[in-house]
Amino acid sequence: MLDGVDFVARAGEATAIVGPSGCGKSTLLDVLAGLRIPDSGEADPGGDVALMPQGDALMPWLTMRDNVAMGARLGGVPRAEAVGRADAAIAALGLARFGDHYPHALSGGMRQRAALARTMLAGRATWLLDEPFGALDALTRSEMHDVLRELRANEHPTILLVTHDVAEAVALCDRILVAGPRPMRIVDDISVDGGDPAATASAVLTSLRQAGALA
Amino acid sequence: MSTTRDPVSGARHEQATEPVGAHRAGAPGRVRITPGQTLLVVILPLLAIALWQVAVWVFSPREWILPSPADVARAGWDVRDRLWFHAGWTILIAVIALAIAVSLGSAIAYLVARSRLWSLAVYPWVIVSQVIPLVALAPLFVLWFPPFAAILALAVLMSIFPVVVAGVDGLRGTDPDLVRAARGLGASERWTWTHIRVPSALPRLFTGIRLAAVFVVSGAVVGELVASDRGLGALTRLTAGQFETAVTFAAVLLLGVIGLCLFGLVALAERIALPWTRRATRPGS
Repeated sequence: MLDGVDFVARAGEATAIVGPSGCGKSTLLDVLAGLRIPDSGEADPGGDVALMPQGDALMPWLTMRDNVAMGARLGGVPRAEAVGRADAAIAALGLARFGDHYPHALSGGMRQRAALARTMLAGRATWLLDEPFGALDALTRSEMHDVLRELRANEHPTILLVTHDVAEAVALCDRILVAGPRPMRIVDDISVDGGDPAATASAVLTSLRQAGALA
Repeated sequence: MSTTRDPVSGARHEQATEPVGAHRAGAPGRVRITPGQTLLVVILPLLAIALWQVAVWVFSPREWILPSPADVARAGWDVRDRLWFHAGWTILIAVIALAIAVSLGSAIAYLVARSRLWSLAVYPWVIVSQVIPLVALAPLFVLWFPPFAAILALAVLMSIFPVVVAGVDGLRGTDPDLVRAARGLGASERWTWTHIRVPSALPRLFTGIRLAAVFVVSGAVVGELVASDRGLGALTRLTAGQFETAVTFAAVLLLGVIGLCLFGLVALAERIALPWTRRATRPGS
């Protein structure tokens, strides 16, 4: 699945991995999160990662508060304190009124915000985000981009964002790794900072085309 | 269109964008019943009783072959103390057996889903055991156990199967994204079983328990028919043997009511225990 994926993510930096669907990006994140053992090679995230899977993956039997608190609980925080932190995080995301709601009663954007809060409360230095906003409509997605930028400014996590949306990668990240199709390999490393977004996006697309990732 | 973040109005808006046909069919698990349909539910049994009464008037069979609804009602009322006594035994057996079937069945389901050995060595035999008509085993049980234990064992055997199968399906059918989400936050595999797989299996498990609630009454009655002189099963045997057919009918109707009540109680327990299933699907997922 993976072949020649070799990169170093810098602390506090947001790195996007852009590649076609099914090229092994989720597998890479599983390896980094320690959920899958690579056949060869090494993945060393320092053991300090939180993985957020596609979609929101909230537990339907837990209220939003308990879903968010789950992140802190799994980060080793005692129950009462975890709930307190969850309430604070929910309030900070503008969802204070909905703490007692079950996920099915929330909109897609609310659920996504709760999922981000859950990831944040795990208290890990690195966040692995696996196509987090793929299922949202365009407007909600832009809103979520804002939320993520704000969380970055406050929490300073190292972010590894997997996406097949070039515009999203350019809008959110400092650096874009372009992945070629199976077996996955990194074919380009493009820096985003300061440049013209449209020019960066077209550089990414050119790399993808050269890697044979676009038909 | 308002920009409110109220989840209720949001959900309504999403419903409104669905095709008209889907809207008319209603959301899954939430069927809207019109007053006309309610009337139908009440009228059909009344109609059946009326037809039965008319048939008895027209053909006038002997009362011990087919009593009229009025005969059944009268006989049932006359022997109400006797009916209650026997119903009490049947209810006691059914409730104890259902409790055993649910706890034992859930435990077996957990082990089968969790362990390869159980899944290979035990689960096939759980399924094969259902091929044997349990009624045929009843005389053997009576040989081996005292009456109360024999009846209980039959009722448990008749009702445990749906619990096990539903439990196994539920545990195996856990959404892998939910497990990945927890594992990705540092949860151990063991933790995901108790905190993710078990709660996510509960809705399916309850479906199995509802079926068990119906089967458990049949099991108790079979046991009482062969092994006891107490319980509604025993009462049907005794009264049919003495041509008190109207009482037999009353006992059978009472059995139906008991089964219905057990089913309803399980459904109620489900509503209380799983408030998050009250709307079956999440909008937009």
